[in-house]
Amino acid sequence: MTHIIEVNQLRKSFGTLDVLKQVSFNVEPGEVIAVIGPSGSGKSTMLRSLIHLEDISGGTIRIQGQALAENGSYAGAADIRKITDRMGMVFQHFNLFPHLTVQANLELAPKTLKKESSAIIRQRSLELLGKVGLSDKADAYPANLSGGQKQRVAIARALMMQPEILLFDEPTSALDPELTGEVLRVIKQLAQENMTMMIVTHEMSFARDVADRVFFMDNGEIAEAGTPEQIFGNAKLSRTRTFLQRVEVEG
Amino acid sequence: MSWEYLLGVMKPMLEGAQTTIFLFLLAIIVSVPLGFGVTLLMKSRFNPLAWIAHTYVYVMRGTPLMLQLLFFCFGLPLLPGVGEYLVFDRFTAAALAFILNYGAYFAEIFRGGLLSIDKGQHEAAQVLGLSKWQTMTKVIIPQMFRVALPATANESISLIKDTALLYAVAVPELLHYAQAAVNRDFRLTPFLIAAIMYLLMTMVLTFFFKALEKRYTFE
Repeated sequence: MTHIIEVNQLRKSFGTLDVLKQVSFNVEPGEVIAVIGPSGSGKSTMLRSLIHLEDISGGTIRIQGQALAENGSYAGAADIRKITDRMGMVFQHFNLFPHLTVQANLELAPKTLKKESSAIIRQRSLELLGKVGLSDKADAYPANLSGGQKQRVAIARALMMQPEILLFDEPTSALDPELTGEVLRVIKQLAQENMTMMIVTHEMSFARDVADRVFFMDNGEIAEAGTPEQIFGNAKLSRTRTFLQRVEVEG
Repeated sequence: MSWEYLLGVMKPMLEGAQTTIFLFLLAIIVSVPLGFGVTLLMKSRFNPLAWIAHTYVYVMRGTPLMLQLLFFCFGLPLLPGVGEYLVFDRFTAAALAFILNYGAYFAEIFRGGLLSIDKGQHEAAQVLGLSKWQTMTKVIIPQMFRVALPATANESISLIKDTALLYAVAVPELLHYAQAAVNRDFRLTPFLIAAIMYLLMTMVLTFFFKALEKRYTFE
């Protein structure tokens, strides 16, 4: 069986600084991966390179067996588009389109790409707004939403494209603590529906709760990977344990 | 001072105001798209084009509008070789100067608007599968115009007032007739009337742009 994501020796450097050094891992369909680690460890860069938001210096990325990048260079524009079509991304700062209503945010891309009738698009947008609990906000503008609501809209917007893989780049880091719960609940529901997800997060209890596997990144590499029980209960490396102790004290 | 006097003075001034308004509309309708085109050229990855656009903006913003006006009306025909093909009537030459001058200012305003848009907007559009062109037209440009609206309002009010520079190249407009009446009658009233007419025009613009800003407030 092919892995849904297959990353081999992924490398990225700025001059002499290695942001990512030889990152390799596989993700299986339906798996939820939590990526944790100190800031500057390359978590976001790794995640973003999976959907062609970063240039890379070396390595191979395969999505469902198809090469998105090979030997450090990305495929041609048409192939990138075809491959990343099945992927969605949710950003730390939501990146909603402020000039469009919530519903228009959801419908902009599918309507522009014209692969489906607008009736179907409309039906799905209302359905997804219901799913994230924001049916009453269809006509609101992003400026009038709380952070938690914005992030739920962003998740619904990503789901509009019916992705098979969802990437989350610190989805709750910009939120007030009391608003993280509503976002994490939505992500957890997606996990229960077997969505393949990679989530860069600082929410350790959430990672423990929802992830099938946890990657601990440090210094541009995946230092340790394992089940939540292994990583949180019985980490092999002292730097993993040090990191976890520190965030627990701070958190 | 009689009503007949006022009406007598106002009649030519109102005719002059038509020239003022016509020049204003012509300049704004052409210089806004021109400015936007120049903004895109300034951002072009093809360096010679970007360089030309930057130079154009630098020259038009760096020299007095009055100088440009005189140059287009009286200087162009003196250019060696091509001058004889560049003889326009005064109004056309003046309109050209206004369009090119204001185009440069609008280019800078729109460039500022583009700069204000977070790169997360591009990224969000990209991961949703929009092409660069679709991202520009559906996501970036609508936000850019909204950001640029207050500065555009400001520029358009400046433009209304700058049309009075036509006086210097003897194209009869509002101020020209006011000045003529003051000279003839030794009275200040025509200046006062001219001021009121300019204020009325800027008031219309102010209301128009306020309404536009309200219409495009996304809350």
